[in-house]
Amino acid sequence: MPSRPIYLDHQATTPVDPRVLEAMLPYFTDCPGNPSSLSHGYGWEASAAVKYAREQIASAIHAQPEALLFTSGATEANNLAIKGVAEAYFQKGRHLITVQTEHSAVLEPCRYLQSLGFEVTFLPVQPDGLLELSLLEQAIRPETILVSVMAANNEIGVLQPLSEIGAICHRHQVLFHTDAAQALTKVPLDVAAMQIDLMSLTAHKIYGPKGIGALYVRQRQPRVRLAPQVHGGGQERGWRSGTLATPQIVGFAKAVELGLAAAETEQPYLAQLRDQLWRQLRSQEGIHLNGHPTQRLAGCLNISVEGVDGQALLLALQPKVALSSGSACASGKTSPSHVLLALGREPALAAATLRFGLGRLNTPREIDQAAACAIAAIQALRKTPSAQWVPG
Amino acid sequence: MATRIRDNRITSSAMQIYLDYSATTPCHPEVISTVQLVLSEHWGNPSSLHVWGERAAWVLEQARMQVADLIQAPLESIVFTSGGTESNNLALHGVASRFEQPQHLIISGVEHSSISNAAQQLAQGGWQVTCLPVDPQGRVQPLALQRALRSNTVLVSVIYGQSEVGTLQPIPALAEIAHRHGAYFHTDAVQAAGRIRLDVQALGVDLLSLSSHKFYGSQGAGALYVRPGLDLVPLLAGGGQEGNLRSGTPGLPAIAAMGHAAHLAAQNLAAESVRLTALRDRLYGRLADNLLLVPTGDPQQRLPHHLSFWVRWPQTGRRSSQPPLSGKAVVRQMNLAGIAISSGSACHSGKLTPSPVLLAMGLSETAASAGLRITLGRETTEADLDWTAMVLEQVLTRLTESKIPAAV
Repeated sequence: MPSRPIYLDHQATTPVDPRVLEAMLPYFTDCPGNPSSLSHGYGWEASAAVKYAREQIASAIHAQPEALLFTSGATEANNLAIKGVAEAYFQKGRHLITVQTEHSAVLEPCRYLQSLGFEVTFLPVQPDGLLELSLLEQAIRPETILVSVMAANNEIGVLQPLSEIGAICHRHQVLFHTDAAQALTKVPLDVAAMQIDLMSLTAHKIYGPKGIGALYVRQRQPRVRLAPQVHGGGQERGWRSGTLATPQIVGFAKAVELGLAAAETEQPYLAQLRDQLWRQLRSQEGIHLNGHPTQRLAGCLNISVEGVDGQALLLALQPKVALSSGSACASGKTSPSHVLLALGREPALAAATLRFGLGRLNTPREIDQAAACAIAAIQALRKTPSAQWVPG
Repeated sequence: MATRIRDNRITSSAMQIYLDYSATTPCHPEVISTVQLVLSEHWGNPSSLHVWGERAAWVLEQARMQVADLIQAPLESIVFTSGGTESNNLALHGVASRFEQPQHLIISGVEHSSISNAAQQLAQGGWQVTCLPVDPQGRVQPLALQRALRSNTVLVSVIYGQSEVGTLQPIPALAEIAHRHGAYFHTDAVQAAGRIRLDVQALGVDLLSLSSHKFYGSQGAGALYVRPGLDLVPLLAGGGQEGNLRSGTPGLPAIAAMGHAAHLAAQNLAAESVRLTALRDRLYGRLADNLLLVPTGDPQQRLPHHLSFWVRWPQTGRRSSQPPLSGKAVVRQMNLAGIAISSGSACHSGKLTPSPVLLAMGLSETAASAGLRITLGRETTEADLDWTAMVLEQVLTRLTESKIPAAV
């Protein structure tokens, strides 16, 4: 059997940590209760497990447990935050602000709201991917009800200045939502200090299971109103109906616990690996780093390569290195990434992009191998007759 | 019951007999191995183009095939969701949002809250919503649907197997009436799936909701059958997964579990429904020997694993003017005795109001507060039920004598 490629796509998803799996298994076997079955012990057990998990996850972002509601993932959390706020506050105003480099799970709900008559400002970013705060401040109007800016970009890893954005939003009394799917446990998140009103989270980017996420909804100063988008049994205090997936919730909490415990050593380790990779890649000409050089996730390196066909490059690497050209959701699409275009990259260059997503289990040796593979593939593709690439 | 936290795990002791399979079912042991395999090996993102993505996509598509087989549906008609509630919401919202102006929706009076509350939400948005009456057995009469149709009726949604009283609705007849009128037909088959044979062609439905944890899959996955050619507006916008009908990285472990569970259910369905029907009827016979039971729901057209009733009195003829015991009080005492049954649907179990389903069937408020539900499953044995019958008699007798508060 041929050896597996090196997995460098940790922004798409992460393997499940064996300790997470171990924490989940009893809830498939011994305690099969429905957490809403409050009349018997099976339900109590499940309900107690959910309560404990909620406390753990909430404390990771310095929130009160009752401010956290579980969803099926970050996409649902983003949809609920954006549509839920729009529906609850439309009498106050019908204007929302977001950023061109957001994940499609934020952009698409915003576009949906546009179709209902809401106005949405899609702010540009600077060439390094950072939001210019003065533009945000100028964009806020009396009828603005929500600002949504992601914590860490899924393609280029850029970290937006959440505290500053939070301060601006609160000064103007506008709600602030952040999609923190990529940031949880990797960078400090504090909903109180950063003045964040709504925050989307997911488990499968932090070595937890797929199919579980959460939304933080601020409960005081101000108390955020949210119109539920899924109606039914009234679980999660009416915000989100549906039987809770106890094993996944338990796994999510375990993943958060492990991520926080390891953060101090893991993040510097990943930054070191990332820098090692970049040092080797930049020895080649015509390779461009996308996004801010320092203000970004430790485990993310996104480059655009001159003089090669993006699809061909990715195909050449796939047997050795599993990585992607951008968002996994857009893998099937051939158009260049909306994030890179927002940075001002030429479409042709943006189409030749590699996103290296480094994770907990990667080794320095793997990074050397991946860099060597990438360099070899780039050199080979540049020599093909159709490339006609001349070093600038 | 002792509950304690140890090694981050909450464990318990003393629970012995589980008879609440309509609330949730434990994962089938073989399904657990699948979950374990997906979590440890096939953890890729199905949208990724590399080998991990391909393998995850294969797991996803295999599950889709297995679920499609359970309801005799084409592969491309299955949309995975996070559960039955999301499926029901997607069905109603998905059809309703296609119309710029509010139209007319018909549901029944015995729907699960994920239909009735979603319908109520549409009503707040200006939709006309008709709630069909049911007969004393909880059945919707086709004639009632015929009468309720209006020129702007675009969707009819009727639950297939009712969770509280077990009644099965005449879905093919109802769907035909809706179609003749040009309306779409949705059925919530969450309780029926895995318990009776489902065939979307024979049923004639356009949309059908499923939930994994009601047929020994895990919590956290469901599906909506969407008849090919029918356009829906998605509830969740984003990356465009599931043919753009449901964005978000699919919850693969639970979806794979659902697929495997669907496969096992399809294999065991015929034999298991016969076994459970016999067990249920035996339990009913035992209870009826010594208690004055009033069965709820349809005696023939019902889910095979499902027994529901209220108890007039432990002994026939005694103090018959007194109100019956509250279902919740009985459930609580049964729980202390180590037997898990319920007084209604799990989603309603935190509430103190009489059951809306029983009220819709014409029961008085007191009777509607006295409802009990015993639902059987894979691990239920004859001995479990004999013990349960004995304990229930004891509990009822003791409660009667100790004058525990009666039903409201």
